[in-house]
Amino acid sequence: MADRQQPQPASTGTTSADAAVELAEIERRQQEVIKAALVPVWFWWVMGAAIVAIGAARDSHDRVVMATAIPLAVLVMAVLIIATIPGVRRRVKVHSAVMPSAQAAIAIPGLILLVDGVTIACSMSLTEHHVSHPLTLGSAAGAAALVIAGPLLNRYFGRLMLTNARQHIADAPDGGAPWRGLFGTDPGGRPAGHATSASERGTR
Amino acid sequence: MSTAGFDELIHAPTRLEIVSLLAAAEWADFKYIRDELGLSDSALSKQLSTLESAGYVEIHRRFVGKRPRTSASLSTAGRRAFEQHVAALQQILARSRQDAGAASATEAGRGVVRR
Repeated sequence: MADRQQPQPASTGTTSADAAVELAEIERRQQEVIKAALVPVWFWWVMGAAIVAIGAARDSHDRVVMATAIPLAVLVMAVLIIATIPGVRRRVKVHSAVMPSAQAAIAIPGLILLVDGVTIACSMSLTEHHVSHPLTLGSAAGAAALVIAGPLLNRYFGRLMLTNARQHIADAPDGGAPWRGLFGTDPGGRPAGHATSASERGTR
Repeated sequence: MSTAGFDELIHAPTRLEIVSLLAAAEWADFKYIRDELGLSDSALSKQLSTLESAGYVEIHRRFVGKRPRTSASLSTAGRRAFEQHVAALQQILARSRQDAGAASATEAGRGVVRR
């Protein structure tokens, strides 16, 4: 199969508009796979709520509340993290060449440091100023940082993965210039995202 | 670098969608592909069989507990054919842009001569 004769593109009767539509369709499908690998927005909100629950439990100074709420919140966080690791209980596994592994190795610990740093700094500052419920407020600040930074990180990973996917499949002899051009407008002048889907081009 | 090679098998709309999904993935569940593309089980099976016969796709059948689970992945030959197909599409676009550029340059030249 690999040694098949390669027909010349010119003989296919495929117009440049058809080619642009086809490339847009390829990218749309790849975006869907990438989207499946990203964590949903609610993930950050649930994680934030769990962080606030831990802070509030510590502030309560009630042993029963601490003994139940803290392990429960940690369990929720652990389950969420494990469930969202790419490949675990997923219906699709993103190709390793598309995954932003190197950037993730820096960005994820960076996010954890940011959230912990904000939580600890706010909690200590509020405790020093004798504000009531300092740990609850401190963890709420940390949760807010997570809810803001998490989706931003998600978007960053999404962009990286799409770039990786393009580089992975579009290692074209001309450097992939037309492929990059898809993100502006296609030759018909339509935005790439509005291109006719491949399924509309013909019968299945 | 990929050599351009237009592939009629991949060019078919549904197969292009399947191969595009699989190109970004290590593997994908049969149900995931079916749901994403809005196909019936039989329609997807038919297309996957065609791609499998061509050596482009590998079908994996395994059991998770007692439930059978089918997944598909792009073979090395399938990935190469897809890359070549993408390169061919890019060539068509690039050629069209070159032609359009040459045409507009000729038109501009005529305008200068007319003046």
